[in-house]
Amino acid sequence: MSQEQSKQDVKPMKIDDILQRDVWDVDLEPHITVDSSKCEKCPTKPCLYLCPAGCYVLAGNKVVFSYEGCVECGTCRVICPMNAITWHYPKSGKGIMFRFT
Amino acid sequence: MDVKNKWDIIIVGAGPAGSAAGYTLAKKGFDVLILERGRQPGYKELFGGRVYAEPLKKIYGNELSGAPIHRWVKKEKLSFVDGNKLVSLEYQSDTSTSFTTYLPQLAKWMADKASEAGALLVEEVTVDRILYKDGKVVGVGSGPDEAYADLVIDAEGVNRLLLEGLGLVEKLKPEQVAIGAKETIKLGEDKINERFGLSKGEGMAWLLMGSITDYIPGGAFVYTNKDSVSIGLVLHLGHAIKEVKEHISQMVEKLRLHPQLRNLWIDGDIMEYGGHLTPEAGPAMMPKKLALNGLLITGDAGGLLLNVGYTIRGVDFAAYTGYLAAEAAIEAHEKGGFTESNLSVYEKKLRDSFVYKDLTRLTGMQDLYSDAKMFKALPKLAVGTASRVFEIGLETPGIWNSFTQARKEAGFGLFSLAWKGYKLMKKM
Repeated sequence: MSQEQSKQDVKPMKIDDILQRDVWDVDLEPHITVDSSKCEKCPTKPCLYLCPAGCYVLAGNKVVFSYEGCVECGTCRVICPMNAITWHYPKSGKGIMFRFT
Repeated sequence: MDVKNKWDIIIVGAGPAGSAAGYTLAKKGFDVLILERGRQPGYKELFGGRVYAEPLKKIYGNELSGAPIHRWVKKEKLSFVDGNKLVSLEYQSDTSTSFTTYLPQLAKWMADKASEAGALLVEEVTVDRILYKDGKVVGVGSGPDEAYADLVIDAEGVNRLLLEGLGLVEKLKPEQVAIGAKETIKLGEDKINERFGLSKGEGMAWLLMGSITDYIPGGAFVYTNKDSVSIGLVLHLGHAIKEVKEHISQMVEKLRLHPQLRNLWIDGDIMEYGGHLTPEAGPAMMPKKLALNGLLITGDAGGLLLNVGYTIRGVDFAAYTGYLAAEAAIEAHEKGGFTESNLSVYEKKLRDSFVYKDLTRLTGMQDLYSDAKMFKALPKLAVGTASRVFEIGLETPGIWNSFTQARKEAGFGLFSLAWKGYKLMKKM
């Protein structure tokens, strides 16, 4: 294997690409809501790193949240220092469908 | 919930705890309804990859041989990782007490067992409240629907929103839980056997500590399934919120691409990725009571999971607490009803079982592991010693000298190391 090839093989995948492997039936209604005005005052924003599905991303200095790729672990709710998150499970069979975990 | 409205027993959640309880109770002839929020049992579940079999044998007996068991773990490996170097301890055996599987498959099997025994399993119902009236639990609600029962068994899982709603527990704190993130990588049965040195049906469980989690207390894991490997990380949230430097998925990717590990699965395809919380705090996370008038609390919701660093017992603990809850319910019923005093035999059963004994004896060990300074220093000590001993230039270094140099570099005093080692051994 040449140096060039091996470099290609060892490139980490981005979370959005990794999540392509998963299956959801996304609820039309979000099961999580975020009070983004609180995020602006949040000094640490741990959700950006610890939501395993990368549902929280920074756009400029704003935290942008999307619920569609959520794996329903509950981490964001536990770690949010601002109590900005209202968290429920999705309704009636909606959401993530793990098969090989 | 367009089924009948009144049951002997309603169980919330068809995970290992709920299904083990449902199976045990339905076999005794109770009229049992199990409500599961997923489209299929297991769809909302994620674990590391290994289940200890003995508690399940107590519940299912010989029927366990029909469970979706991937491989029996006959190789255990523990590694300290520091950068691109690692030091490992490996244990190999011709006997095994644990197996690997996909939890969604095992959960489906357990739910099917409960159904076969006569429990009614209804999927796609997200219970959003436990109904409490006149000092006792009387049923559950989901949106506009309500169903009533003489006893509710809460097997809702780690987030325990229902218990919070009842005011029995406070919202989880970061210090009480860890986040697990995991990739399942399809590789093929033969490749796994060759690369991990395994025979057909034999599996490996591998835990790694150190720079692999950026020294955040927790660890990495590798489990061999039938034709795939599960790799992932567990990070204590109390530490992770302060110490995490990059997105957790990228930390999992670094594990997948670690120079000393990647050749094991480099040509594999990621089949699935997910995350889940796991209880960490042991007794400190338990509700004050696990038995109340008309209510029993089982599994992760009760904080009934054991993590001692070198192994985690979640699924078997959950299943066994579900089983004990069912046994307690049977006894309470014989005594005349599901009152708190009759149901409190559940807490006694837990105290008398390995569950509570393990939890109280071993949970403190995880405090030692998660001592941040120690967590960083140990891998450095192990790898630092080994690299000095094995990487020989002109002069052959002595082992004691190598150890002493590594110890100083890792910032350990000889006395503090001996003291911590002593405390750890005593706990174990």
